[in-house]
Amino acid sequence: MNGNWSRRGFLRSAGVGGALMAAGGLTPAQAAEQQRERAKNPRFLIVLSAFGGANLVDSFLSVRETESRNGQVVNAYPDSLVQTLGDFRAIDLQSKRIGAIPASFTANQSNFVKAHGRDMMVVTHTGTSVNHFVAQMRSINGNAAWKGRTLQEATALTYGAGYPIPNVHLVNGTGFTEWGSDTSLPLYAYGERAPTPNLWPLSLDGYKGVKGAPARDLFERARKLRNEQIDPNSAFFGTFGQSERIRHWNTLRGESLRGVEASDLITKLMLFPDSPAMPLAAHGLSGSALGQKVRDAFPNYDFDPLESQAALAFLLLRYGVSVTVTLGPDGGAVFKKGVSLGSGEGLGEGGLVNTPISFDFSHQANREVQALMWDRVLRTADRLITLLKSEEFQDGESFWDHSMIYVATEFGRTRRRPSGAMTFGSGHDLNNGSLIISPFVNGGRVLGGVDPDTLLTYGFDPETGRPELGRNMTEPEIYSGIAHALGIDTPGAGLPDMRAMRRRA
Amino acid sequence: MKRLVSLILAAGLAASSAAAAPPPPAAAPVASIDPRVKFKDGERYLRDLSDGLGVPRESICKEMSQYDCFSDAFRIVLGGVEGPNLLVNSPLEQAPLTAPIAVDRVALHACTARVDLDVATPAQARLLKGGGRGAPGAAWKQATTLRIYDAVLRRAPTADETRRLVAFYDEVAQGRPARSPEVKRDWVILGCFAAASSLEAIFY
Repeated sequence: MNGNWSRRGFLRSAGVGGALMAAGGLTPAQAAEQQRERAKNPRFLIVLSAFGGANLVDSFLSVRETESRNGQVVNAYPDSLVQTLGDFRAIDLQSKRIGAIPASFTANQSNFVKAHGRDMMVVTHTGTSVNHFVAQMRSINGNAAWKGRTLQEATALTYGAGYPIPNVHLVNGTGFTEWGSDTSLPLYAYGERAPTPNLWPLSLDGYKGVKGAPARDLFERARKLRNEQIDPNSAFFGTFGQSERIRHWNTLRGESLRGVEASDLITKLMLFPDSPAMPLAAHGLSGSALGQKVRDAFPNYDFDPLESQAALAFLLLRYGVSVTVTLGPDGGAVFKKGVSLGSGEGLGEGGLVNTPISFDFSHQANREVQALMWDRVLRTADRLITLLKSEEFQDGESFWDHSMIYVATEFGRTRRRPSGAMTFGSGHDLNNGSLIISPFVNGGRVLGGVDPDTLLTYGFDPETGRPELGRNMTEPEIYSGIAHALGIDTPGAGLPDMRAMRRRA
Repeated sequence: MKRLVSLILAAGLAASSAAAAPPPPAAAPVASIDPRVKFKDGERYLRDLSDGLGVPRESICKEMSQYDCFSDAFRIVLGGVEGPNLLVNSPLEQAPLTAPIAVDRVALHACTARVDLDVATPAQARLLKGGGRGAPGAAWKQATTLRIYDAVLRRAPTADETRRLVAFYDEVAQGRPARSPEVKRDWVILGCFAAASSLEAIFY
């Protein structure tokens, strides 16, 4: 092995070196010490993505018809449907149909506000794109607010050193999980895909559970033989060894692989119990010690993609694997277990769990889809919060005491409706806002407001939070507020100070 | 098969004449000035292994004895796409952290499956052939090394590669009964694994 072959050295330079640059001029020793200290007292970011436009005027900023001069032609709700709970509004809606689809459902927002209102903060803003993918990316990178790095990457960079997989992306194919454009970060800061949460833990150990394989110590010797003798001396490596892909591969094969396997994540993150569907014991495996707890919270983990993501997200945080996780409903319709289409009788109560294309099905039926999908997102958040509150992190503090849920969405929906219509479709609109839930944010507050006649939101003073008519908050401002509430230093970024978004403002 | 036999014969001849006149060392490879390689996505990788090892594609790698390693378990991690449900329409640009672990797992599954077949049906054995009941000799180890390289990498091993894998036998046998058939089995599986998870097997 020659000096150029050292994967450890490559990892060290790729990791710590990049972090130093990001940390803004600290010496290597200072930066390493700062990272170690940060990792001891982390803050966790859960990005709960709301694909398709989770509209605030269909939830916490809803307006009553009688409050608006245009109540019949904008998306204001019948007075009886709008509840006021502190600063927030809430819509609890029952319907027998979702537009043309006979699908009965009951949706609730008020329970979440009652349970978590103290930690809820709604901030208004206006985005810069109504293209799904572009707007999704901007919701997490603040429209390249800080060198293009995403909030997840910034969180992983700040707190993730030493965590086996700091940044995990559980939802796929969306801009919410697109890597940022800042390529100077250490490898560990970028999102790791966990596309099939139920089986993904099997990819966290190269040996365990392979029936009939030789003993582990012999397997490790074979790896060593490959890594130190076969590969570096092969003609293939001699010719192509300096390829970026091979260098990257060798980096991954080094310390990061050993760190993941040493943590026994294949066991800790295994959602399934021993069962015919997952005969763990017969393959020398076992389920997570917290498996029953997460299965109780997310009983549909075995077929509902969002529940399986949420269950794994909790375990990733709880077991100290990650400091940020991204999950959310994706584009596929999800039906209640056992429900089949084609009976001609429509779907019974709760038969449709997730509308096709999620919130974006509002094109067909704005109110019903917003109600059903908000209910789904809030239920997921509620169960995650409950789980995180039930587990002690350290010194009497729960995991929730260190966490933030950011309900990221692309944009809002258009506000017009046919006069008096209850069912109508909506388009994409730049104007909207975001829900953020955390002990770190200015909880119990709506920052900004909504014009009852247009239903367009307006902004707030970044220092005091006082509503400011005629002001629109920008993507970089919201990015900055979230990053700073998470305790992320942003040296040299030129980001505005959004003190109003922090609890101790 | 003819190719394999001729390779084995060639290896035998080379071994017998090795003491008299060691072969000249192979010329050092020339490093490419533009070394671009592609990662075999999981399906291509599994098909190559299936073809080389003679294990049907549908049974070469099953997680929990029932889930296909690529299509059910590691499709995206191993560079595949899945548009309809996961909305992943193009392969990941960079291998994720879990990819090398998943590749190791797939290679271990495949090699174990092959050797289990060899043990169950010796007449159709591909890798673990013969060797008698006692401790195997150098010729058997060299011939087995040749079979492994031919099956997995589709080429004969160099003299150094043969020497390394043969020497690895002693590591596998260390502290175990010399006559144990398990030692031979383990060595063949692990030799196959080392080749099947090598850079040469994964990239092209």
